Amino acid sequence: MTTPMLERQINFLDYTLSSLWRKRYKNIAVVLVFAAVIFLLASFQLVSNGLLERAQTALVMAPEILIQKMVAGRQESIPVAYAERLQGIFGIRQVTPRVWGYYFDEVTLANYTVIGRDQVAGGSDDQLTQVLADGRLPAAVGETVLGQAVFRTKGLQDQRVFSLFRPDLSLKTLTITGLFKKESNLLTDDLIVLSLADSRDLFGLPPGLASDLMVSVANPREIGTVAKKIAAALPGTRVLTRPQIEKTYHMIFGWRSGFASVCLLAALAAFFILSWDKASGLAPEERREIAILKILGWQTADVLLVRFFEGAVVSGGAYLLGCTAAYIHVVFFGSSLFLPVLAGWSVIRPDLHLVPAIHLADLLLLFCFTVMPYLAATVVPAWRCASLPSATALQGG
Amino acid sequence: MLIELEAITKIYNQGQANEVQALTDVSLRVATGSMLCLRGASGSGKSTLLGIIGCVFPPTSGRAAIAGKQLARLPDRFLTLHRRETIGFIFQRFNLLPSLTVLDNITLPLLPMGVGPRERKLRAQALLAQFDIQHREKFPAGQISGGELQRVAIARALIHDPPIILADEPTAHLDSRLSREFMAIMDRLKASGKTIVLASHDPLVTDHPGLDQIMDIRDGRLHVP
Repeated sequence: MTTPMLERQINFLDYTLSSLWRKRYKNIAVVLVFAAVIFLLASFQLVSNGLLERAQTALVMAPEILIQKMVAGRQESIPVAYAERLQGIFGIRQVTPRVWGYYFDEVTLANYTVIGRDQVAGGSDDQLTQVLADGRLPAAVGETVLGQAVFRTKGLQDQRVFSLFRPDLSLKTLTITGLFKKESNLLTDDLIVLSLADSRDLFGLPPGLASDLMVSVANPREIGTVAKKIAAALPGTRVLTRPQIEKTYHMIFGWRSGFASVCLLAALAAFFILSWDKASGLAPEERREIAILKILGWQTADVLLVRFFEGAVVSGGAYLLGCTAAYIHVVFFGSSLFLPVLAGWSVIRPDLHLVPAIHLADLLLLFCFTVMPYLAATVVPAWRCASLPSATALQGG
Repeated sequence: MLIELEAITKIYNQGQANEVQALTDVSLRVATGSMLCLRGASGSGKSTLLGIIGCVFPPTSGRAAIAGKQLARLPDRFLTLHRRETIGFIFQRFNLLPSLTVLDNITLPLLPMGVGPRERKLRAQALLAQFDIQHREKFPAGQISGGELQRVAIARALIHDPPIILADEPTAHLDSRLSREFMAIMDRLKASGKTIVLASHDPLVTDHPGLDQIMDIRDGRLHVP
């Protein structure tokens, strides 16, 4: 048994729905355009959040501290002997030399990222093992671990042995001992991990030199302090910490999605200008309808409630439709519209299947930037009209 | 007395350059179950007087009591509530919403009263049958004839069973046959106990034998002919 108060609300909702149905073609068009704008914004939000979370997962393989030698503002190979100058710094657990660079494969026309490192017990080796789908890290000369895209683009399938060219065009043969997980594709898709000796051999780098030195620390809370001590002990080097690298990723993805969002906000603004223009200039028949309803005993609040319901159904429907479409786009279509813009520009695009990272705060922000202005654009003009005397309906129409 | 007006004055835009005095010192008493006609030319103040009787707006000065309530003391919200319970309006151009069905137009006054859909439909169908337009129930109001529009407008005025029916130039857009039909319906309503106030200068209305009272209104002042 419904109370009269509840019955009133149901009556108004009923009137709203029938009113929307009467102008269904116009309202469906508005919902679709509005949903498209919300879909674009929500997709960008979901993709950039997903990328950030994925980067966070993949960054477990980043060293805690990285030391690079700088000459004239450019990075150069660093002598492995620099590690000895760090022996006196308390808190350093291990210093490991690393070689890295890019290998252009003329067959597949793709650039691969090559990392050469020796296996060390504990520290980043354990973390690298976490992102291995199967197999093990290279433990001996001639062994390698590949990213999914490298394995795929080289068409290796069941093959466990393949070759790369040295600078003198002689062939270097490698045996695959493992593959990286899809979850770490953002950073490992184009990656070839070798032993230190193999990478020097591949790039023609003299022994005793590395691209950088990876430092693991005993207490992760002391990363900043240890990094400062290293910078003091090794002038002429650049010392990067894992939090700094994480921040860089946040900035890159944040900047890209921010840039795209600004572009989309322009579309949103245009939509609201149009809807405000439409709503503020209530059509004569809408004004007449409000006047008739008022003279028939409808309160100003009743008229506003109906307009509010109308706005809520249209904008809420568009919001749900837009957000659901964005979720489907990210989950089932691999963010195909926006991932190329947001994930990077490499020849090998990471084959990412993002799990959308849904943050309540983002959904609320989107709600506030889309549904609320639309409601205001619907209710405010109606309030201005409904506040006028209803006597106009007495004037013979 | 169901309607009591005493020394009513209505001034629009008071104190402004476009100030208009629509009514001056109007006094009127209408008994329950009677039919009154306000006769006057266009712009004479008929609609303003109907607006005050219909609780659309309060008078600027004077005493107006409609169905026992003093209008001057009622805030706008309560004026609307009182109008909803007491008054049924029939407008010159019927003021129906053309895209709504006949049934939905008739039931509009019941929505804010919290009457459920089943009850609304039953009441509307009874009135449609009473005025012999039940076959038009699901038609949009924009697609029915003038005579049917008029009956729908009357049905809407009666749907919430108000004691007072106000009609502003109800026959202005009707031919003589439909006008006579309209007055016949008014006679039936009067016989059922409704109090009716008509504003018109149509002789078919002003000369109607069923009127209990007729008053001329000129330049905002009432005159007994």
